[in-house]
Amino acid sequence: MNRRLLFRMFRVLMFAALVLGMASGCDSLPGRPDPADRYQRPDEVTDFTTLFATNCSGCHGAEGRRGPATPLGDPHYAALAQPAYLERIIGDGVGGTPMPPFAQARGGNLTEEQVSVLAQGIRAWGADVAGSTPTPPPLVAASPDQNPGSPARGEVAYAAFCADCHGPGGAGGEKAGSLVDPAYLGLVSDQALRTAVIVGREDLGMPGWQADQGRGISAGEISDVVAWLGSQRPSSAQGRPSGDGR
Amino acid sequence: MNRLRALGKWFDDRLALGRLYDHTLGHRIPLSSASAWYVFGSATLLCLIIQLVTGICLALVYVPAPDQAYASIEYLDYVQPLGWYLRALHYWGSNFMVALVTIHLIQVFLFGAYKYPRELTWMVGSGLFLATLGMAFTGQTIRFDQDAYWGVEIIVSILGRLPLVGEYATHLLQGGPIVGSETLSRFFALHVFVIPGLLIGLLVVHIRLVLVLGISEYPEAGKPLDKETYAEDYEATVARSGIRLMPEGGGKDLVFSALILTAIILCAAFIGPKIPNGPADPSLIHTVPRPDFYFLSLFAAFALMPPYLEGFVIVYLMPLAVVLLFAVPFLSRGAERHPSRRPGAVVLVVLVGVSLVTLAYEGVLSPWSPEMDAWSGQPVQPQFVEGRSPLEHVGATLLQAKQCRNCHALDGKGGKRGPDLAGVAMRLTPDQLVRQVLQGGGNMPAYGKHLAPHEVSALVAFLETLHPANAAPARNSAQPSGGVAGQPDKP
Repeated sequence: MNRRLLFRMFRVLMFAALVLGMASGCDSLPGRPDPADRYQRPDEVTDFTTLFATNCSGCHGAEGRRGPATPLGDPHYAALAQPAYLERIIGDGVGGTPMPPFAQARGGNLTEEQVSVLAQGIRAWGADVAGSTPTPPPLVAASPDQNPGSPARGEVAYAAFCADCHGPGGAGGEKAGSLVDPAYLGLVSDQALRTAVIVGREDLGMPGWQADQGRGISAGEISDVVAWLGSQRPSSAQGRPSGDGR
Repeated sequence: MNRLRALGKWFDDRLALGRLYDHTLGHRIPLSSASAWYVFGSATLLCLIIQLVTGICLALVYVPAPDQAYASIEYLDYVQPLGWYLRALHYWGSNFMVALVTIHLIQVFLFGAYKYPRELTWMVGSGLFLATLGMAFTGQTIRFDQDAYWGVEIIVSILGRLPLVGEYATHLLQGGPIVGSETLSRFFALHVFVIPGLLIGLLVVHIRLVLVLGISEYPEAGKPLDKETYAEDYEATVARSGIRLMPEGGGKDLVFSALILTAIILCAAFIGPKIPNGPADPSLIHTVPRPDFYFLSLFAAFALMPPYLEGFVIVYLMPLAVVLLFAVPFLSRGAERHPSRRPGAVVLVVLVGVSLVTLAYEGVLSPWSPEMDAWSGQPVQPQFVEGRSPLEHVGATLLQAKQCRNCHALDGKGGKRGPDLAGVAMRLTPDQLVRQVLQGGGNMPAYGKHLAPHEVSALVAFLETLHPANAAPARNSAQPSGGVAGQPDKP
């Protein structure tokens, strides 16, 4: 290559480098680190979306929908669940079920503040349907010790409201699986059963307490169905859900 | 103009700059040495100059104290005007310098330029290569973030394996029995005093050798090197058709260096510096430390090799590799220089290159590291949730809660340590699934003691659903119709 051409190329390149170097003086180039990407210690994160995505979405699904565990993102659930209730479940977990405790005091990773942020954030998902009519039954039964529900009445209520999909006797049907499998009952709390009856799994095709037709299932019948399912829980269940999630 | 000339002569009479030029930049080299292949050394030198200038600027702000180092890096990134840009130039300067010194080494090796009389040039150059890697490593260390912390842990573990001196070397490098507050000072001193001093010293010798011995001619196949007549031939070539290194010979060097400078500036401006990934705190477990690219292959090699090989590799192979590098001129004694007449050299470069690139690729993926927050942060995808029974839902929840996902991906999402579980029902029958969960096997621990019987049932019930809709799940070959083992076959 001829020398003159080389030197001309050199001059052009050096000029380009100089211009680029000076252009960087405006301090707003794409390479400039964005403070939003700055490393945050996991216990300093207080953004609900991040906290939910990193701690809850594994089981409860992205944005609380279409995951295997309780659909926290269902607005009907979010409207019914009180913050104190959510905080207790998040912090302490539910013994005997897959829901682990998340509070640092219980061996988890989240600070009290983070647990509170999660509870508030889940609650906010229900803002649109809060106070809508008809009023759903309370998510947590008022006093189950005084009014434990009757298994015998529950069997009748089951046949009326649940057997279409879950099959006669709870053994599973065309549309939905068994509810009386000992392994299932051994790993699910009464509260989770109650929540499922009230809120349903609309993201997966299971209706809530109002169902599609006729009158909804009453608060008493809900307690009865839960009592009937609970009565079939194997007493030998090693992982018997001790915490009832209330 | 005449006055200017007179002034210049006045200085030249005293400083003898003209003579200096004649013996350095103006010295004559063979015409064939002004090749486009011979530009990597000078570009590496350019990188060194960039590193010196930006490094001195960074040292004005950086605080080499363990409680302030990380904060001072963040100060540079987010507060100091253009501090990030300075860091970016230094970071990309180092990336380019490592890359260029490596290319320079490969080029010299392939062209046989290390052969007589330039054996010492090669050895000093090898020292420069190692010093550059040393600078790169200590540089990423004094970022004092998670990568730095674990990088130091690995390097001192390697040192600690050396017989006899291991313990003392570790203690010396760490400034104590553990990676602690003294360690950063040690690495800072290495990065700004010891290794740069060594590097500049070696560079002076390297350049001295280049000037004394001249630049090797472009290799020609079938023109073997003759030690007896080499010096005479070289001088004759230079006398016959030699050109001055500068300005005639160095045009390509200048253009290439300018290209590299532009590339460094562009990378710094558009990609930016390496953001430190959290303070050097070993209690932060949700971290995936990785070295900068040039050590990824080493990182992967140590992660992948079986533990019983580590001692052998550290005590024998690594020192041997260094000795072999320095001894190249004495091991390769053939007279041919052109790569087409030295197939062994080409094969060696290709083999080493392919191995390093493959290992570096594995290092980027690092499938051996569990993904520590997959269990709570990687949702079970809706296609694995829809249409499942309540028991299977609980099983999917257990898959997460028992942290199976940290090692096992579901349809590509999750840890890569174990096999992906999407489709596992086609590989294992229900009985085999139970056995695998309870007893582990392969690389998997046994979970029998960590799961209640109900939990195993639920987990396996979910795993059994993991097969495509159009593919049948695996069956026990003794029960071809899919019956339960131990029970009579149903018709």
